[in-house]
Amino acid sequence: MSSARLKARQREFMVRLLIAKSPGFGLDLFQLSEFVEMNSRGASTSGGNDTSAVRKDSKKPKSSAFTQQELPACKPLLTPRWVITIFMLVGVVFIPIGVAALLASRTVVEIIDEYQTACIPSTYTNNEQRVEFIQNVTTEKHCSRPLQVSKLMKGPVYVYYQLDNFYQNHRRYVKSRSDEQLLDGNATDTDACKPEQMLGGLPIVPCGLIAWSLFNDTYNISTGGQQITINKTGISWKSDREHKFGKVYPQNFPNNLPSNENGSLIGGASLDENTPLNEDEDLIVWMRTAALPTFRKLYGKIEQDLAAGSSLNVTINNVYNTYSFGGKKKLVLSTTSWLGGKNDFLGVAYITVGSLCVSLALVFFLVHWRNPRPLGDTKYLSWNRPASAN
Amino acid sequence: MAAWRPSHRGRHRLDHYRAPEPDLLLGGHRTIFCNEFEKNQGFKFKGNSISTTKYNVLTFLPKGLFEQFRRVANLYFLMISILSATPVSPVNPITNVVPLTLVLSVSLIKEAFEDWKRFINDKAINGTAVEVLRDDRWKKLPWRRLRVGDIVKVNQDSFFPADLLFLASTNQDGICYVETANLDGETNLKIRKALERTWDYVDEERAKDFRGEIQCEQPNNSLYTFTGNLVIGKQTLPVTPNQLLLRGCSLRNTEYIVGVVVFTGHETKVMMNAMNVPSKRSTLERRLDKLILILFSVLFTMCLVGAICSGIFINRKYWYLGLTSDVEDQFNPGNRFLVASLAFLTFVTLFSPIIPISLYVSIEMIKFIQVTQFINKDLRMYHKDTKTPALARTSNLNEELGQVEYIFSDKTGTLTRNLMEFFKCSIGGVMYGTGVTEIEKGAARRNGTSMEEVESSKDFHEKYFNFEDDKLMKGAWRQEGSPELCKEFFRCLAICHTVLPEGDELPDKITYQAASPDEAALVTAAKMFGFFFFRRSPTTIKVRESHIEKIGRIQDVEYEILNVLEFNSTRKRQSVICRYPNGRLVLYCKGADSVIYERLNDRGNTFKDVNRDHLEYFGSAGLRTLCLAYRDLDINLYESWNEKFVQAKSALRDREKKLDEVAELIERDLVLLGCTAIEDKLQEGVPACIETLAKAGIKIWVLTGDKLETAINIAYACSLINNGMKQFIINSDTKEIREVEDRGDPIETAQMIERIVSKKLHDSLQQALDSERTQMGLELALIIDGRCLMHALDPQLRGTLLKLSMLCKAVVCCRVSPLQKAQVTSLIKDGAKKITLSIGDGANDVSMIQAAHIGVGISGMEGMQAVMASDFAIAQFRFLTELLLVHGRLSYIRISKVVCYFFYKNLMFTLTQFWFNLYTGFSGQRFYDDWYQSLYNVVFTALPVIIVGIFDKDVSIANARKYPQLYKAGIENAFFKWRILIVWALSAVYQSIILFYFPAKAIMEGKNGSGRMLGLWDAGTMAFTCVVVTVNVRLLMACNFVTKWHLISIFGSILAWFIFAFLYSGIRNQLDRQGNVYKVIFIIMGTWYFWLLIVLVPICSLALDFCYEGLQRWFAPCDYQIIQEVEKREGSPVDGFLLVESPRLSAEEQTSIALAQLPREMSRHTGYSFDSPCFDSFFASQEGVSMSHRSYDIARRASMRGPRRLSSDAGQDSPLYL
Repeated sequence: MSSARLKARQREFMVRLLIAKSPGFGLDLFQLSEFVEMNSRGASTSGGNDTSAVRKDSKKPKSSAFTQQELPACKPLLTPRWVITIFMLVGVVFIPIGVAALLASRTVVEIIDEYQTACIPSTYTNNEQRVEFIQNVTTEKHCSRPLQVSKLMKGPVYVYYQLDNFYQNHRRYVKSRSDEQLLDGNATDTDACKPEQMLGGLPIVPCGLIAWSLFNDTYNISTGGQQITINKTGISWKSDREHKFGKVYPQNFPNNLPSNENGSLIGGASLDENTPLNEDEDLIVWMRTAALPTFRKLYGKIEQDLAAGSSLNVTINNVYNTYSFGGKKKLVLSTTSWLGGKNDFLGVAYITVGSLCVSLALVFFLVHWRNPRPLGDTKYLSWNRPASAN
Repeated sequence: MAAWRPSHRGRHRLDHYRAPEPDLLLGGHRTIFCNEFEKNQGFKFKGNSISTTKYNVLTFLPKGLFEQFRRVANLYFLMISILSATPVSPVNPITNVVPLTLVLSVSLIKEAFEDWKRFINDKAINGTAVEVLRDDRWKKLPWRRLRVGDIVKVNQDSFFPADLLFLASTNQDGICYVETANLDGETNLKIRKALERTWDYVDEERAKDFRGEIQCEQPNNSLYTFTGNLVIGKQTLPVTPNQLLLRGCSLRNTEYIVGVVVFTGHETKVMMNAMNVPSKRSTLERRLDKLILILFSVLFTMCLVGAICSGIFINRKYWYLGLTSDVEDQFNPGNRFLVASLAFLTFVTLFSPIIPISLYVSIEMIKFIQVTQFINKDLRMYHKDTKTPALARTSNLNEELGQVEYIFSDKTGTLTRNLMEFFKCSIGGVMYGTGVTEIEKGAARRNGTSMEEVESSKDFHEKYFNFEDDKLMKGAWRQEGSPELCKEFFRCLAICHTVLPEGDELPDKITYQAASPDEAALVTAAKMFGFFFFRRSPTTIKVRESHIEKIGRIQDVEYEILNVLEFNSTRKRQSVICRYPNGRLVLYCKGADSVIYERLNDRGNTFKDVNRDHLEYFGSAGLRTLCLAYRDLDINLYESWNEKFVQAKSALRDREKKLDEVAELIERDLVLLGCTAIEDKLQEGVPACIETLAKAGIKIWVLTGDKLETAINIAYACSLINNGMKQFIINSDTKEIREVEDRGDPIETAQMIERIVSKKLHDSLQQALDSERTQMGLELALIIDGRCLMHALDPQLRGTLLKLSMLCKAVVCCRVSPLQKAQVTSLIKDGAKKITLSIGDGANDVSMIQAAHIGVGISGMEGMQAVMASDFAIAQFRFLTELLLVHGRLSYIRISKVVCYFFYKNLMFTLTQFWFNLYTGFSGQRFYDDWYQSLYNVVFTALPVIIVGIFDKDVSIANARKYPQLYKAGIENAFFKWRILIVWALSAVYQSIILFYFPAKAIMEGKNGSGRMLGLWDAGTMAFTCVVVTVNVRLLMACNFVTKWHLISIFGSILAWFIFAFLYSGIRNQLDRQGNVYKVIFIIMGTWYFWLLIVLVPICSLALDFCYEGLQRWFAPCDYQIIQEVEKREGSPVDGFLLVESPRLSAEEQTSIALAQLPREMSRHTGYSFDSPCFDSFFASQEGVSMSHRSYDIARRASMRGPRRLSSDAGQDSPLYL
């Protein structure tokens, strides 16, 4: 056996011993593969002389930019110049966007009418009485609200209701539905719907708290004695209608019980047993639960312009019980822009951030101009600074 | 008689240390019937197959999982997963199970892969063929089939399959040569000799008749001891390690041998030594634990707040929540306390991602790459001469390398080359040798005088021999004042050793196999002086003597070697008793000056004092000295002594101790011959490396077994100490101590030393403090010797020592034992809480290597023990620069960054959920979909941070070396301070607020022209998109070094989220349990609102960080940032190293190449004569013996020689170090 092969064998053995000894992590394995490679190469070259060269090669780490940590790279430096430039750039981009967003928001005309107190006879002064009023089946709950259109509202005008202090995002509430059931009607597992799961031993369709607590105030709008149609189609997202709700007809819906008519006890809406769920857009809208306890939901669309100065008369059937938990109810009429409804937030945010950036850029520029820090000045290195500074 | 054995270092030391196992003493030995398997069956010996695997197919899953769940983080997530399967959970169990499963499977696959490799290795080893005597014939069987008692035949160059009792060999005289490289890394051949009685069982006819009974100790891990008896017929023969062939060794220069299997498989000594190095954890990782704890408390606080509010919130007035009387407990307003308690659990599951589950696995991957791809493959750490790349044996400590403040270095083999050259000598009080050492040159340079360069006129440079003096060479010694002494001196060199000659018996062909390079140097010197040792048989030594009677006359003389009294650390000397052809009996002895001087006779030795002066001179010139002496023996005296010796040799118990005592009887009344001086060359680049490290703020301590003078001089030569420094020398070798010592009362001596040490320490500390106050920048150095150190390490003085040493820039401890090396290391590690690194090459450094935070072994030339115990192995001391300043520093920066980033990203993510829950009635509703949350850590943010952990580089490698001061940031822990973490945490809080409120606030009105409204999941998806974009871009901002991989991984992760979102919410699938996010992404992407937010939110969140980073760099730049700017301005220096191996060689390189071209002898090992006493600590620590025991053990051993003087545990006896 040539001495080179001998050495190789010996090394391999050593490596095996090492494996037995070294603590995990496969470094040894890595080594081993090298040695084995070396060994096999050593064996394949039968000549004794060139094996040493081969061995040298195999033990020498292969040089690559990666292993030597010299990969090509860019090294961004956050120099003052860059800081100023980037802030300036952000400002320059943000302010116009903000202005555009703000303008869009400003074009939106919005009428908001908070009616939860106004729609209750003034004799009911405190909350308990109001709850009592709303829960009384026999009382007349219609009320009439005059609204003034101050600016021209180009159609379509969207009618929203806005609730407050209503935790549609409460964990118990959010999960209390069965999407399976909503889609095909016969879900086996409706546990999540508890406690609105079964009624008299039969499954409730649609089950769950969300459906059960469906908002049921209604609005009738007229102007100058003429009814304005509120179009209630197309108020939900198409994907919801088509993919999340199926041709499922309500069954055993508790709010439909005669004793519970009109949600006498609490206020949830009844469902028309002849309308499949995917056509009941109010339900579909309601069931896209809101993210925050104050939320708006689309009630319908008015497909006509509302002239400036015209007065609207809204007849509200005020039956939904928000009085128990002190929630407000608002009726909102709003036009939209490309961005959506009236919301200055985005515009203001953009403008604020933008102008902050610009002003920071200016301040930094001034500082930099007056008192520039030379880049890479080695006298600032900690070990070059005078000892007293340390 | 078989009196001599090749010495291997440590054999004795080991026995000394190892207390005999109780069962051995009580007769718990094993009895083996050779060649009679049936008889052995009753003993149930283990088979010879080995298994180093951790698992098998059945145990893999349970055991592997058990191992995984021992990690707290994994266990935590297991608990969370279980919790999330309960109704209190707001999230699908998927949320927690998926990341946990991914993390576990990554770890398990890794484990399985490693174990599989091990299994393949085992299989290969177990399947190796060996010839075994079965049915009276040699039969080839795999190793695993071997049984205890089998007779095996091992051929040349094969490995021994088990621990064998050596019976016979084809060599005459029943000897064989073994190579033990696998055990101790020594490549020189060792001789083993069979018992004479068994010599002829060499062929199968004879071997099959061999019957014998071996009674021997139970398997143990002591490589160098073996006690037992071989009973053949009625004869009982003692068996020693000399007859034991250990598994793992290989047979050399012998056609084949026959042996009996004694220990098999896992019971072999090598396997019993195969233990895991105790795993170390890095300081950063321990800090990480604290961080995790803080995260836990943040989690706890958040959950508590949420839970209490939840209990308060719940109310029947929210009729739509259906809180009627039969509501389940977690929402029952009737029991608010229960509601709060259950809500707590709900929040725990919801906020669980605050604990970064993938952190550990990511860090492991990063470190693995750092180790395997960077450290192990760094060409700058590849040593061409020995063809040794760096090897990281653990990947736990990469970042620790970036924080080292104290380096403890061994001297020999680490700072110095361990290339011994016979340089000078002193015979009969006359000094010979004209050479000038590097150290002397350095000293001269320092003093400003230049030394006359004596150009060597030699055209041939003999290895090991760098001696120049015409007065001795070519027989000229005959003209000297005392030629008789010279003759004895040379004979002593030629005879008193354990060197094996190899090759042709010609002066220029022969190579010497020596246990230590010193010995080779001495024998070579004898050769050069005309006493050419060329052949050794077990009982004789042949020396070709020239110029004895007259110049030019050559004769071969055969000396009969009667006894060899071996070297060991306590004896510190070695003697050979030989008989001249004319019947003269002489004992030649060489050893430490201290031991030899004790044993000189009173008459004669007139030049004793001159010789001592010479010794000191040599010592201060950095030379290693040995004293030579001889004694003429009277035949009667010898005979009577020899009886005792033979008795001691066959003793079963305490053999070594008895041998020592017997040796003591004859090694006396010596006549001094003189002393030798061997130069120990400095390693390449050591002074430059030390200077660089010092600049980096690292304090280097040299811990050596050498003399005070040598140590100081090496420290000078390494530019560790210079004349500008104030030196505090605490030394036990002073006149007053010697006087007390001479009185012979060790207790008094000890008390004396203690007093002096205490006084000196306090004085020095006072002075040090004074100079600290008054003289700015005066550097201090402390030099202390082992004996004083023993006292200084006492609990009372420890504090003072610590304070003093912390003030010193350099500390040199000389004459320290391995144990003391470890104690000093622990002093700084535990006392000062600084990060320590120990570097050494020999077995004597093992304890220090294991005691330090990081152990570095010098590989490529020495034994394996230091490397085996180490965490990193490098070939040269100078590679420390690379290892620390480049790899350590980068690893530290990277890992710090990774950890901070993980901390930030998970905190931020969880906080957004917390803010959301303030608006859900504290119900624990999740803001994001289950799958978003589960994939957040393992997919959408996993890869970029790993890429950064692998690639990030603040300054170029060349600049990291050019500005070693950059390393100081690591020592100060500048990248992982609480301040840094707080900045990250504040940024996380700020960003989470933006990331929650902006999308939520903006969602209030109809979000496109159709007036339709967005819901909870739209907001959640929106916010999540912003989170993914923000954290990924934040990482990009944190990068100093952006390669395409950074960009690919960062934008790839963002893209991955979108792809996932399209697939997941675009297709109705089972994963989306409730269809919550079905089509959501399309709806929101159809609104302007989405596009405006996705620009606004990340920019707004990151603006603060951006501002902070910009201002910080602007007004309070860190050092590395300034260097970055320098680089930007000047372009990063080209690292010439990588271009090619440059044709131009520096002077240093030329020397090193020249050296490499010298005929290379692989055997280089810690010179026993100088380097310190023992390496038993290595084994001791493996056996879990605590340090304190060992210290006394060494002292006790030292005291055993003399009359019993002191209780052992006082440990005050004079330890004799050379």
